[in-house]
Amino acid sequence: MSSTEFTSREQSQMKRTGVYVCHCGGNISEVVDVKRVAESVLGQPDVVLAKTHEHMCSETGQNLVINDIKEHRLDRIVIAACSPQFQGPTFKATLDKAGLSPYVLEMANIREQCAWPHFGFPGEATRKAMSLVGMALAKVDLDEILKKLTFPIGRRVLVIGGGIAGIQASLDLGDAGFDVYLVEKEASIGGKMMQLSRTFPTEDCAACILSPKMADVAANRNIHMLTYSEIENIEGYLGHYEVTVKKKPTYVNPDKCTCCGDCVDVCPAVAPNELDQGLLSRKAIYLPSPIAVPHAYVLDIKACLGLLPIACGKCKEICDPGAVDFNMRPELIRFTVDTIIVATGYDIFDAGQKKVYGFGQYENVVTALDVERMIVHAAEGNPMRPMGKRIAFIQCVGSRDEQVGNESCSRICCMYATKLSQLLKRSDPSRDIYVFYTDLRAYGKGFEEYYKRAQGDGVKFIRGRPAELVEDPRTKKVTLRAEDTLTRTIIESEFDLVVLSVGLRPNEGTEAIAKLLRLGKSPDGFLQEAHPKFRPVDTLTDGVFLAGTVQGPKDIPDTVAQASAASSRAIRLMNRGEYDVDPVTAFVHVESCDGCGLCVDRCPSQALSLSANVAVINEALCKGCGSCIAHCPKAALDLHCYTNDQMLAQVRAALSDKEGPDVRTLIFADDMTGYRLADNVGTAKMSYALDSRIIRVPSCSRVTPQLMLQAIALGADGLILCESEKNSNPYPHSVPTIMSHVSKAKEILGQVDIAQDRIHFVQFVTVMLAGFVNNINRLSEIARKLGPIPAEPLQRLSQDMDKKLFGGDHDS
Amino acid sequence: MGVVRIPYDIKKVKIPRGEVHIIKERCKGCGFCIEYCPNGVLIRSDEFNAKGYHPPIIAKPERCVNCGLCQLICPEFAIWSTPKGEMEAFIRN
Repeated sequence: MSSTEFTSREQSQMKRTGVYVCHCGGNISEVVDVKRVAESVLGQPDVVLAKTHEHMCSETGQNLVINDIKEHRLDRIVIAACSPQFQGPTFKATLDKAGLSPYVLEMANIREQCAWPHFGFPGEATRKAMSLVGMALAKVDLDEILKKLTFPIGRRVLVIGGGIAGIQASLDLGDAGFDVYLVEKEASIGGKMMQLSRTFPTEDCAACILSPKMADVAANRNIHMLTYSEIENIEGYLGHYEVTVKKKPTYVNPDKCTCCGDCVDVCPAVAPNELDQGLLSRKAIYLPSPIAVPHAYVLDIKACLGLLPIACGKCKEICDPGAVDFNMRPELIRFTVDTIIVATGYDIFDAGQKKVYGFGQYENVVTALDVERMIVHAAEGNPMRPMGKRIAFIQCVGSRDEQVGNESCSRICCMYATKLSQLLKRSDPSRDIYVFYTDLRAYGKGFEEYYKRAQGDGVKFIRGRPAELVEDPRTKKVTLRAEDTLTRTIIESEFDLVVLSVGLRPNEGTEAIAKLLRLGKSPDGFLQEAHPKFRPVDTLTDGVFLAGTVQGPKDIPDTVAQASAASSRAIRLMNRGEYDVDPVTAFVHVESCDGCGLCVDRCPSQALSLSANVAVINEALCKGCGSCIAHCPKAALDLHCYTNDQMLAQVRAALSDKEGPDVRTLIFADDMTGYRLADNVGTAKMSYALDSRIIRVPSCSRVTPQLMLQAIALGADGLILCESEKNSNPYPHSVPTIMSHVSKAKEILGQVDIAQDRIHFVQFVTVMLAGFVNNINRLSEIARKLGPIPAEPLQRLSQDMDKKLFGGDHDS
Repeated sequence: MGVVRIPYDIKKVKIPRGEVHIIKERCKGCGFCIEYCPNGVLIRSDEFNAKGYHPPIIAKPERCVNCGLCQLICPEFAIWSTPKGEMEAFIRN
C-alpha cells in the first residue's frame, strides 16, 4: 500500500491537522525561512496541509483557518507564530467560530522564543523553528476535545473596609442590583477621608462631600452595613466564599438612640478621641464623628469603667429612650458571597520611628493628619491649640527612606503639604510657612497650578531634608537645621510648630486579610495586583479585587476610580450568572487508581478527595498546578491540556533532531513568569543558547521527577525549571513542591552516577531578563562541558524507574 | 496612634467627683472594693480593725468618680461614695 492511500477506517481514526506558519509581517520571516518550516511538516501522517501567511492574526489569516477547517475537515490546528500568551486567545476564538473546540489548538512560539532571540543565526533559528513546530504537532496530536468549564455564580459581594474606596464600590454594586455586605471595623464608615479638612487641589470640604455618600450607603437597600465588625474567617472559592464576621457590641441600640448626648454628660470615663488622633478627648460613650453613619452613640468597653460587673451604669440610667443595652454581646454573623473587594486602606507612618524628629517627645512636633484636625476645629471656632506664626513642614517622613524600611514614595504628601501650608497661610497671612521638600511631586490634574498658587501665597518651599530637630526646654519651640540645596546655604531656624508629612503604610487590617485570602504583597508592603498594567485591581485569587490605598498610596480621585474599577471587575464575573475557566484541571485515570489516598493531602487547594475508593477532583477548587501528579505511584493522576503523554511527546519531539555532538537543554517555564520572561527576553532581542527548547507548563510543579528522569533518559543533557518566585506565585505551594521534586530527581541521578548539576531550578520575576539569559547559557555550558551521558548510566537510570521513584518509601 | 498622647483639652473636660466613706469596723477584709474599683482609688491598709481584718484606705482620692461600684459590691455595707461636685478629667489607661 503506498503511503498516500489509506482505508476509510484508518482515515476516520486519523487526525486531520492544519499547520500554519506566520511571517508576522517580517518579524519571523526575516530570520526564519517560514516556507521551509511549512514544507518540513508535510510528510507527517496527520498533517493535511501546511501553509504560510503574512499575518495569521489578521482577519484574512483567521478566515484562512476557518475556511480550511470547513473545506478540509480539519480537527487539529498548529499555528507557528507569536507567543500563545499574546495571540492565543485570538486564535482560540477563531477555532470556536469554525465550530472546533478552542483546545485543539497548539501554538509554536517561533517569534518571541525563536526568530527574535536568535536573530543573528537564521539557519539555526530555522532548524529550531522546525523543532518547535514538531513539538507542537506532538502535543496537538494528543489534545483532548475539551470545552470551557462553566460555573454558576451569584450576585453577592463582600466589601471589606468602609472608607471612601469601600463606600464607592458598595454604591456602584448596590446601584447595579448586587447584594453588598460592607464590613467596617470602626463604629462608623468613612475611613481616613472623614478626618480630613479640605482636599487638594480644589479645597473641597472632605466631610461635606463624603457625608452624602455615606448617607447613600445607609439608604441603599442592597447594601448591608456591618460596622464595628471584623472578618473572623473566609473560606471557599470564587462563587462560594463563606464569610464569618464578628460584630462587636456597641452597647447602644442604634434604632433607639436619638443622639441627644445626655449619656456623655454623666459619663465619668475619659479617653483620647480617635477621630482627632488623640489630641482631643471624648467620653467612654461617644458619637464617633459628627457625620457618623450609622448615626448612633457607641460605648467603648475599654474606656468604660466596666460592665462585668456594671461599675457605673449612669449612661443607662439617664438614657430616656432606653437605647443603652448592657446585654449586647459579640455576634458571629455568617454568610456566603460570590466575590470580594478588599478596601482596607492605610495607616499613616508612625512618626515616632524617626527619633531625630522628636515626635512624641516635643510637644510642637505633630503629623499632617494632626494638622488636618487642628484646621477642622479652628475653622469651627474651637481651635485645639495655638498654631503659632512660624510653621515648618518636613516632607518624606517615613517615605523614600531606607532607614525605616520604606523606599517608596507615598505619592500624596507633597500635595497635602501644599494644601495645608496654603490653608494655614491664608487663615493668617502674617505666618511664616516653610515646606522642606526633597522633590515637589505635583503630577495630577490641577496639581502644578495649585503648587504655583501656594508659592504665590507666600509659602516658602526649600529643597532640603532637615536632619534633626531640637527643642528649647524653656519655650518648647523647635529648632530645625537643613541645607537649602538650591542656594547651597545652611538654614538654622526656630519654629513654633513643625509638621511631619508622614507617608502611607499598609495597616494591620490589611495584614490579617492578606493572610486569610492568601494575597501577595508588593515589595512596598501593599497588596499586589495581578498585573501592574493590565489587571491593576485584580488579585491572583479569583474573585478577589483590590480598591484604594490597600493596593498602594493614592489620592481620593484615584481611589474612587479604582473602587469603581473593582466593582466593574466583580460585575463582569457575576453579571451573566456564570463564569468560564480554561479546563486546565487535574483528572483521574480511574482504571489505574487503587484508592490509596496518598494524593489527598498533597493538593494545596484541597481539591482532592476519595470517594468509593477512587480519587475525585473538585474542579471548582482545582487550580491546575499539577502538584498532585508526582505523588501517584500508579500514574493515575493527570492534567488536562498538559497531560503526562503530551509532556513526554513534547520532550521526545524536542530531542528528536539531536545530531552527533549536539547538546540539548530543556527549559520548563511556568505560565505566570517563566514563559512570560522568555517572551520578554525575546522581545528585547537578547540572545541565548540555541540548543535550548522551552516547554510551557501552568506551573513547574507539573514537572514530576519521573518526567525529568525520562527526559534525561531520552537524551536531554540539561534541564532547567523556571518558576515564579514564591511571593508572586499564583500557586502558593509550588516552590516547595518543585524543590522537593528536583531534589528527588537529583538524588536518583546521583544513584546512577549522572551529574546532578544537569538539573537546575531557578525562581524568577518577569523583569529578570539578564538573569534568564545567564541561567540558560550557564546550563548549556555545563551540559556541553559534561558532554553526552554515556550509555551505561542511562541504562541504569531507565531500569526500575518506578521503584526508584516510589519503591518502599510511600511518604516521599 | 503609636505614641501615647494627652489630649489638649483634658483640663477643660469635667467629670464627676466622688468622696469615699468607709466604716472600718464593718469590713471583713474580702478585698472586693479594692479589687473592683475601676480607678484604683483604694488599697489594703496595714492597720487592723477589731475583727482582725485589714480594711481599705483611700490611696488616690482624686481618682474617685462616684461610680458607686464599691458601694454596690461590699457585702457588709461598709463602704460608699457620695458626689462631690466636678473635677478635671484624666485618662484612665
